[in-house]
Amino acid sequence: MVPDDTIVAVSTASGRGAIAITRMSGPRAHEIARRCLSAWPAGPRLASLSEVRDPRTGETVDRAIVTTFVRPQSFTGEDLVEISGHGGVLSPAAVAALLIREGARQAEPGEFTRRAVLNGKLDLLQAEGIASIVDARTEAARRGALHNVDGGVSRQIGMLRGAILDLEALLAYDIDFPEEDDGPIGRDRVERALAEVQHHLADLMASVRLGEMVREGAVVVLAGRPNAGKSSLFNALLGLERAIVHETPGTTRDAIEAVIEAGRWPLRLVDTAGLRESSDEIERTGVEISQRYLAGAHVVLVCGASEDELRATSDAVHTVTAAPQVRVRTKADLVGEPGAIAAPAAIAVSALRRDGLVDLVGAIEQTLDEAYGSLDPELPLLTRARHQAALTNAAAELALFAELQGTNAVPATIAAVHLRSASQALEALVGSIDVEDVLSRVFSTFCVGK
Amino acid sequence: MDSAHQLEARFDVIVIGAGHAGTEAAVAAARLGCRVALITSALETIGQMSCNPAIGGVAKGTVVREVDALGGIMGRATDLAMIQFRMLNRGKGAAVWAPRAQCDRGLYRRAVRTQLERHPTLRTIQGTVARLLWTDGGAGGVETVEGRRFGASAVVLTAGTFMRGRIHIGTGTRIAGGRAGEAATVDLAEQLERAGLEVSRFKTGTPPRIDGRTVDFSSLQVQESEVDDFDYSWSHYWGASRAGAHGERRHPAQLPCWITFLEEGGKRIIQAHLAESAMYGGAISARGPRYCPSVEDKVVRFPDAVRHQLFLEPEGHDTSELYVNGLSTSLPAAVQLEILRSIEGLGRAEMTRAGYAIEYDYFPPTQLWPSLESRLVPGLFFAGQVNGTTGYEEAAGQGLMAGLNAGKRARGESAVVLGRETSYIGVLVDDLVTRGVDEPYRLFTSRSEFRLTVRQDNALARLAPIAIEAGLLDTSEQELAGARREQESALLRLAHDTSLSPAAANAVLEPAGSAPVRQPTRIAELARRQGVSLRGLVVAADLEFPLAPDAMVTVELELKYAGYFERERVHADKLRRMSHLPLPSDLPYEEFRSLSTEARQKLAARRPGTLAQAAAIPGVSPSDLQNLLVEIERRRLASAAS
Repeated sequence: MVPDDTIVAVSTASGRGAIAITRMSGPRAHEIARRCLSAWPAGPRLASLSEVRDPRTGETVDRAIVTTFVRPQSFTGEDLVEISGHGGVLSPAAVAALLIREGARQAEPGEFTRRAVLNGKLDLLQAEGIASIVDARTEAARRGALHNVDGGVSRQIGMLRGAILDLEALLAYDIDFPEEDDGPIGRDRVERALAEVQHHLADLMASVRLGEMVREGAVVVLAGRPNAGKSSLFNALLGLERAIVHETPGTTRDAIEAVIEAGRWPLRLVDTAGLRESSDEIERTGVEISQRYLAGAHVVLVCGASEDELRATSDAVHTVTAAPQVRVRTKADLVGEPGAIAAPAAIAVSALRRDGLVDLVGAIEQTLDEAYGSLDPELPLLTRARHQAALTNAAAELALFAELQGTNAVPATIAAVHLRSASQALEALVGSIDVEDVLSRVFSTFCVGK
Repeated sequence: MDSAHQLEARFDVIVIGAGHAGTEAAVAAARLGCRVALITSALETIGQMSCNPAIGGVAKGTVVREVDALGGIMGRATDLAMIQFRMLNRGKGAAVWAPRAQCDRGLYRRAVRTQLERHPTLRTIQGTVARLLWTDGGAGGVETVEGRRFGASAVVLTAGTFMRGRIHIGTGTRIAGGRAGEAATVDLAEQLERAGLEVSRFKTGTPPRIDGRTVDFSSLQVQESEVDDFDYSWSHYWGASRAGAHGERRHPAQLPCWITFLEEGGKRIIQAHLAESAMYGGAISARGPRYCPSVEDKVVRFPDAVRHQLFLEPEGHDTSELYVNGLSTSLPAAVQLEILRSIEGLGRAEMTRAGYAIEYDYFPPTQLWPSLESRLVPGLFFAGQVNGTTGYEEAAGQGLMAGLNAGKRARGESAVVLGRETSYIGVLVDDLVTRGVDEPYRLFTSRSEFRLTVRQDNALARLAPIAIEAGLLDTSEQELAGARREQESALLRLAHDTSLSPAAANAVLEPAGSAPVRQPTRIAELARRQGVSLRGLVVAADLEFPLAPDAMVTVELELKYAGYFERERVHADKLRRMSHLPLPSDLPYEEFRSLSTEARQKLAARRPGTLAQAAAIPGVSPSDLQNLLVEIERRRLASAAS
């Protein structure tokens, strides 16, 4: 729990690569490294070529470029050593193993960042931004994550914070300064300030939903009767030229998922096709089996080879989710008679001939844009469940505040309890709103001084 | 080393200064049975109200009642001297009511002095303290400029604005002084600075005063007193009922205030003469309170304001002099007169005293323990403006605690520290010693996390048990306090035990716009409804119930907002538990690298006494507290192992 020990980890992804960086941080980082290195850089932040040697046997483990950092001028705020050695799997592992034997400890996931936070080198939002970059699965998520590090979210939240301060200041003024020039605060003024807070909160909540979609991929569920061609479509989309496929093995047992990036939106395709072999009963229930997935869908691909089939599936999906639908007339190569195009919004696709796939991706993205707002890379993206919980709590407290404020039957201090709770819920996002902040706002807004 | 034979007398506690902090300090120590000397430069100015003649206000009024519950004198003196009373925030619900009284300055001084002399072990001495005497590295007495030397086990410094005070009227006039017409204290300030205490400067100001006989009241808005049934003090120690049936009148005859405005003409005069203001002309650089700005500040910072409200407040029955509240200024006297005459009703006003700004030393209060004793100089306690606060009430609250703890020290007993959840005094002292001040500190309800449960009506219930345990109340006062609190519990029981018939209940509910009931219903349940008054229900039940008016207020609030109060009480319990976790004063915070850099620096500088105080320091986050706990535990384990 308490970072008084020295940690080490291979910081670059394992696998093929020219260089792998092994990073060691903590009070003993320099001492341990010195024992294992043949050369030591002339000063902090200066690179030096060195052999990594086992001090007990004298055996050379690797040759590496070594850079040292002295606390607090390092990423973690602690003494830190970076050893850039050969890539691959074996060399970096051997270096790390040596350092561990000499007194360092294998770092837990995220531990370098956590230390950076504990030592005041990063604020929590920036740290989460870094975590997001590290495991950013999609290009859009990476952009969004970088935006976090830049303080984009902080700016957006700063506006929310400002609005809350304005509202708190109105209440503080009303209670603490009853005989001043501006007189009592009208209820309409409080309501306007409250509306401002709720507006900024709603913006952020929308961004949470969007953030999730960018991080995890917009959930695109394929629905249709057995043999409607879902699996072929699924595979055809994965095979789309320029698509980057991120296989996600076995997150669930009853569906196949894959994230593809073919356009602007990362798409998490979900197909229940693999289940058809597992039991007759599931086979019979057809569309119903994917209810659980349908409920979480951001968009549903309604698949069918004929007009009737599309209509039937569409209706069945509607009973489960209000998510927007994109109709896909599958097997266009087999049943390519012109009449089938009668379904106006259906996109004809041939998985076999790879026809219509790009149009389909376009249609999915357009649908997502319409339903969830355009994916703007500049938009701050709150990507963590914690943020969502904070915003939801704050919204609930503000609703209670609005209710009490509206009745006027309760003392202002009682209504203010809910406002306080709302700003406390948001504290995890933006830090605390101190009484001095509120008072400063009062004094800059009102001329007090009876 | 000062030898004892040179001392004129020995006391347990010496209090320097007899303003609102000093007088409370002296009384609190005397109540413990200590021999107390109260030393002041002029006995006539004991209990002087140097600024506006009002006691109370939002949060401050609650402090007056807290001081009273702890055996202090401010509430009692105010009851005897109030000539104008208002319950502020009356329209916003009883939970935020705030009593505020204008006082007759002369009556107030007299009342305070009488209160002091009720304590046989308390002596008042005229003299200006030149320096402290030291014993064993701590404060052991004082020597006055007249050469008198007195010994003591503890000394309380309540020198107000007298520490190197400097008065400014315009840019040309600069007078050394602690109040208009009174000398400043220089030697003592220099001695304390040499001893290693950190010193800083603040400023504050007062408005001009005018001759009421030269005011045309006909066009002014009048503000009548509403002194109906309010007393600051619960004690009724003088044995008279407030109706005066037993001969003694509690409150003097009431006088009105008047409201007028500084308008465009006055604002233009101020604009034109800004460079001559001590503050704007550069004569003063010290920081002043933002909530009590000079009129120059108002005009500069709010140029769009059409006008600024001014209150003409009576100074007393013995004079027609009026205090022009809202017109604090450090402009030259001639300009002040010009401004006054631009104001409606004051066209021919004569100025009796010019307003002025005053700069003075204060000792940043983070140098104090929560007992208000200096960390550097054992036995030396600080209270009031020397700690960087403003306000009579803030001074009184600190004075009481400093005097109490000086007395405790003299008696070899442990200090009393009020938690934030108990009182505004607790919030005040805690804020001072853990957060410090960067402008003159004043209480606001916003400063308290417990403003629902810490109210003016329940001060006695909150603090009498603490006062009794500390030894501040005598036997008859303990009985009175017990009886008064019993009224509350009796009324609460009655509300829970008595049911009203539907007919009786609905007669109260319907006028309040509340849905009627069909079954007999308990008063407690009905009183929870918004807009339904407990008093009305008690009357409808035909219950004879003699009550202190604030007992009814307390019980009604307890019934109506029980859920919210519970929230605060849960928080209070948590805080109390944290307060019980002491932090050793020698913790090597610099080495606790699991804490953020900011937290390490702040904790090392402030050295909080408990985990609760650590939590109150801005910049110390919950995760810092978690890590701090881990560090302490690790240290404990390490020392147990060695």
